[in-house]
Amino acid sequence: MQPGTDAPATTGPWTGLTERVTGELAGSLNLRRTALRLLDLLCPAFADWAVLALPELRSGRLVLHGGAELTATTPVTVRVDPDTGLGRVLSSGRTEVLHVAEEDGTALDAMIPHPRLREEAAELRPADIVGVALTARGTTIGVLVLVRGSNRGFPAEDVETAERLAARAALAIDSAQLYEDRTHVASVLQAGLRPPELPELPGARIAARIRSAAEHLDLSGDFYDVHGAGDDWLLVLGDVCGKGVEAAVLTGRTRQSIRTAAYFDRRPSQVLTALNTVLYEAESSRFVAVVCVRLRPIGDGSSAVASVAVAGHPPPVIIRAGGSIEQIEAVGTVAGVLPDLAYREVDVRLHLGDTMLLFTDGIYEARGADDFYGMGRLVELLPAYAGAGPEPVCEAVEQDVHEYLGGRPHDDMALFAVSWGR
Amino acid sequence: MTVPGLAEAADRFDRALAAVDTPAATAVIGELLDRGEDPVAVLVEVIAAAQRSVGLRWQRGEWPVAREHAATGVSAAAVEVVARHVRRLPVTRGRVVVACAEREWHALPAMLIGHALRANGWDVTLLGASTTTARLNRYLHDLGPDAAAVSCSVLGALPAGRRFIEAATAAGIPVLAGGSAFGPDPARALALGATAWAPGAYSAIDAVAKLPAVVPAASPLPAAPAAEQAELEQAHQRLVAGLRTTWTLAADVLVDAPVVVDSLQAVAKDVLNQVLHAVSAALLTGDPRPIPETAAWLADLLAARGAEVRLVAELGELLAAGLGDFPLARELVVAHWAGGLVGTER
Repeated sequence: MQPGTDAPATTGPWTGLTERVTGELAGSLNLRRTALRLLDLLCPAFADWAVLALPELRSGRLVLHGGAELTATTPVTVRVDPDTGLGRVLSSGRTEVLHVAEEDGTALDAMIPHPRLREEAAELRPADIVGVALTARGTTIGVLVLVRGSNRGFPAEDVETAERLAARAALAIDSAQLYEDRTHVASVLQAGLRPPELPELPGARIAARIRSAAEHLDLSGDFYDVHGAGDDWLLVLGDVCGKGVEAAVLTGRTRQSIRTAAYFDRRPSQVLTALNTVLYEAESSRFVAVVCVRLRPIGDGSSAVASVAVAGHPPPVIIRAGGSIEQIEAVGTVAGVLPDLAYREVDVRLHLGDTMLLFTDGIYEARGADDFYGMGRLVELLPAYAGAGPEPVCEAVEQDVHEYLGGRPHDDMALFAVSWGR
Repeated sequence: MTVPGLAEAADRFDRALAAVDTPAATAVIGELLDRGEDPVAVLVEVIAAAQRSVGLRWQRGEWPVAREHAATGVSAAAVEVVARHVRRLPVTRGRVVVACAEREWHALPAMLIGHALRANGWDVTLLGASTTTARLNRYLHDLGPDAAAVSCSVLGALPAGRRFIEAATAAGIPVLAGGSAFGPDPARALALGATAWAPGAYSAIDAVAKLPAVVPAASPLPAAPAAEQAELEQAHQRLVAGLRTTWTLAADVLVDAPVVVDSLQAVAKDVLNQVLHAVSAALLTGDPRPIPETAAWLADLLAARGAEVRLVAELGELLAAGLGDFPLARELVVAHWAGGLVGTER
């Protein structure tokens, strides 16, 4: 459907176009998509050729969106002359209509600061080139440059229409720019809080899952980590108090403290003691629940010893290769609220095909229609996955808990599974 | 069209999968890539092909669901080998976000498509299993991709698939739909407002390259069936509970069963969910085929587990009776459920 053809023509040839610009540009908060959408609405019906010139706030360079190829983006680093054409529209916020004389490209030079794009526009043998300011919330944030080919200039009423379109588009583009700036800040800050890529462990396979309570933010108060090398690894899963951004920041600090502690001593009891001391001194009322597992092969590597210590965290369960389920009896106080705590380690053996599953309380405290998911359901589900390996175990638990939730909101949830052998 | 060298490798991969031997499986894939095989061919002709036979083994009752999952875990590790390989290839095209709709837990097909697109120069962001529309939306606005691809292999994911399509097209982003829930032709995908449909990795590569830069927001679905589908979703648990007490899927209807793998009770829960999802899918897409297809699938499933096939007809009758408050859905079941039975009683 062409712009303008979907409405009665009683109030001019472009009826409906302004509304479409407003309505359809509201659908995206992404700058590139918003620019693309605007150009798609304008070309080829309203203008034969168009670019959006948007100065970038961060870099100061000018980016030209569009041209003959709608999806193109062309950065321009040369300075735009503030006294002519495009520069004047940017600084004054006022429309410029330039007539393109046959043998003279000055109008195109003034309005299109890039040689390839200028050539594209020149090929249309244009009659007029118009620069309309994009002004939103008191600031001119860019220029919409419109070209019509030979025999089709811009009459005054179409210039007015262009100004109305630009006013609507400018709001959407400004919103998208604001969103993009915030997103940039957030994603840089967030990069250090993302779950780590899992390394390959010799002799073992590992898998992990995190689903945050605020799924759209990808920020969680639950975390996991793996430290080590050779035949000595530390697996960590934890849950800080709270959720969302605040919890994620504490998660980052906790992960860093554990990493540093493990550098000096990889015994889980010592890692937790160090974490408790650091958190107690630094965070007045915040606490963290953690489970630490140190994994080392024994003898020829056909089995491994797992040393488990917990700080206020549910202990792991073991799914034996034969299908029996063992719950490890490990207890310990949450880290961060009491000074001078000591933690105890429990040693268990993992044989070929055994899987140890670490999980946060978001799993068994998931609220279904009338009750919690509970440890009972977990223990009932797991035997069927004996020998299946870590990835299927995590997937099965995640899916089963989700089905149990039946669309209800949930807390942060994290799973970490390690299988000895293949 | 299988390349000769690939056929032999596919056999070895299949055996590794059956033995749940991850190192053997990943070694086969590593060798193929090292000798310069096309990563897309490795994904499609070795991994996807083997994975299809895994699904069939479960459906035929040869494998319990846990074994199916274990084999799928091996496939996922094999796909990861391909992923590491294609990540090193240059990005020469735009950006695509690939996601599984909510309720879609089969992440593997979406991963296959994502890595195949990456192998063809697209910058791909893969969102995992069962992604909420809110999460997809955030990625669409943050990344401003050239296209979104949505995967639905189970019928129950189609309503969420529609919400994905609404989210993407509202931002002008074209949507490629794929996965077995969309059926064997573009009808369901297009009815739900997708820009294009692709049945596999090769066709997905072609289709994404041909997508328009900007699309209009998806048109609203036909009001009456969409409203009924929404109500059906609200009543889902109640309807399942009702059918569970009335459908005589119990020990006394089992004939002498040679292989009864998963308990029929466990299967029954899946079946009832699946049947209602089929009705939902038919309402939303205007394509009644999910209903007879589900009846036929159920007949196969029960036959493989030694249960009487007449249970399928009984379920159809109970379903029609239970859908009294849903006239359009009831009509669909009455008209199309038996069609699936006729096909199986050869």
